[in-house]
Amino acid sequence: MSTIHSKRAARFVADAEKTSWHDATFWSVREKRDKMAQQLPEWEDLREHASQIKKHTITHLADYLEQFSDSLESRGVKVHWAKDAAEFNETVLSILQSHGVTKMVKSKSMLTEECEMNPYLEQHGIDVVETDLGERIIQLLHQKPSHIVMPAIHLKREEVGRMFEEKGISKEKGNYDPTYLTHCARLHLRDQFMQAGAGMTGCNFGVAATGDCVVCTNEGNADMTTSMPKLHIVAMGIEKLVPDYKSLAVFQRLLCRSATGQPTTAFTSHFRQARPGGEMHVVLVDNGRSDMLADTEHWQTLKCMRCGACINTCPVYRRSGGYSYTYFIPGPVGVNLGMLRDPRKYSDNVSACTLCLSCDNVCPSKVGPGSQIYVWRQSLEKLGKADKLKKAMSAGMEYLFDRPAIYTTALKFAPLANYVPDCLTNIGNINAWGIGHAMPEFAKKSFHELWKEGKVK
Amino acid sequence: MKKEDFLNKLRQNTHFQYDMPKEEIKGIEYEDTFEQFVRMTETVGGHVINDVRKDADLNELVRRAYPDAKVFCSNLKGITLEGLKGGNDSTALELRNPDTVAEANDLNGTDVAIVQGTVGVAENGCIWIPQTMKEKALLFISEYLVIVLNRKNIVNNMHDAYDRIGMDDRYNFGTFISGPSKTADIEQALVIGAQAARGVTVVLVDE
Repeated sequence: MSTIHSKRAARFVADAEKTSWHDATFWSVREKRDKMAQQLPEWEDLREHASQIKKHTITHLADYLEQFSDSLESRGVKVHWAKDAAEFNETVLSILQSHGVTKMVKSKSMLTEECEMNPYLEQHGIDVVETDLGERIIQLLHQKPSHIVMPAIHLKREEVGRMFEEKGISKEKGNYDPTYLTHCARLHLRDQFMQAGAGMTGCNFGVAATGDCVVCTNEGNADMTTSMPKLHIVAMGIEKLVPDYKSLAVFQRLLCRSATGQPTTAFTSHFRQARPGGEMHVVLVDNGRSDMLADTEHWQTLKCMRCGACINTCPVYRRSGGYSYTYFIPGPVGVNLGMLRDPRKYSDNVSACTLCLSCDNVCPSKVGPGSQIYVWRQSLEKLGKADKLKKAMSAGMEYLFDRPAIYTTALKFAPLANYVPDCLTNIGNINAWGIGHAMPEFAKKSFHELWKEGKVK
Repeated sequence: MKKEDFLNKLRQNTHFQYDMPKEEIKGIEYEDTFEQFVRMTETVGGHVINDVRKDADLNELVRRAYPDAKVFCSNLKGITLEGLKGGNDSTALELRNPDTVAEANDLNGTDVAIVQGTVGVAENGCIWIPQTMKEKALLFISEYLVIVLNRKNIVNNMHDAYDRIGMDDRYNFGTFISGPSKTADIEQALVIGAQAARGVTVVLVDE
């Protein structure tokens, strides 16, 4: 009954010190988020508004996309429509090739991870340089993000420092101070910005009424990415649309408070036209989103704005780390997005949830990731992914509970189990419930009997 | 893919439609909006120069704030190289103009950029800066950023801010900046000065 998640999690928790650090670090982000939320009397109104605005926008998406693309095109921005990852990657490559670009800087985009764009472009000779510090670190280490907002959170400063030394990014041997390392990266990335022939950003919000592509960062790397090269490509999932500035205000206020517990990101930049002498392209990507829309049980996952609040609060994520999940986005939202992507491939992750629903309570747009995971679990049987042992046990319990006579007899003899030695109830870890658990002692008399004897007050 | 096919699939897959929320959000309002803005600016790592008279010499102010800076960049009318001289260092100072440099790369190595903000937001220290220069790179590439803001343009929250902001039709770009560039990507340790400005000074000019 072990899932891939549980096996990887077992390896993660083997390092107790790192596990505690990971757990405490994310809990402190959760606490910072709470502090931000409590400073605004309208916080719950904001969440409800965000949910309603997203429900409206997603169910009027075609209309808003037309408005958005018309607005962009009216200012000379080229808009592309990509039905899937392959089409997205090809579109980006052809834009780059038509401009003779060999090096592209980019800011963080979960969409490009989803489409596995970097390896595709690299195969075609494009040097893709991540410019968010965390993303750059894991790119140089040939790793994947372990969190959508804090991608390099699983690494210690020594690991980063040693790699920077190897790559010649830092000069002072043995100096692993985060401030020193960040400033080394600043100089390293400055050169990249100045050499690149194109800059790519994601898009946190697209504003239908005005055509603004809004990008939020703390480092200002999306701005450097788009201020130096002449060519700007925006990679945007179609669910990122909001109708207008009025709606945008709601999301801008929620995003960073939910994500990192800051009142705002340092930069909230609005792009809707190429810079002087340059070119701007927006690639709108479906890649399964229209199918999610058709899924009557799970379409509201499209409301997600990728803040990561559900991941930070999740007790399972905090104690198992991002790499324990089999989908590239971990935590509650990742479990859901993986199931929407390919339920047979990613069903392992649905058990990485205690159904505590803490995520439901912090999600700024009320996606209800935990409740959705519960619904996914009900479909495991249909998918042929239900655990066989649990199924057999459920059938057994159903048989027992449907037959009071057998149940009562079984209960009467249950205390006999108290005389079975532990080593027999837990042979070779066959009984998964025996691992880390002591067998409870059966009471001599059942509650039922005590009740009849009038001994229950 | 053709736009029509793309949109048609979305229309076909939409089974029910929801309305926008009926009522608007009542955003937070502060007892002392100005004081809240100053406090938030400092919380996010910015410095504030307060009570600046409308006719004050910005050159002198900037010089005093950054006495070691050598290379300045601005297209604001009041900023002149002449005005920046006369600090405690008499070596040549350079003033770059973001409208006339050939390339954005030419702005690398700028110590201090001086720009105009149009709306300040008390709840989070954001200042709206519409692009009014050919190379917006100066907003990000400079080591330090000075943002001039009239104190009458400070609003309570982002709802009020989004009601007011505008863009210059020539450039159609604007950004909210709240304090210096920062990151916590290495072990969650906060470091000021990631890829953009390492420090931000907000000059609040009286009405």
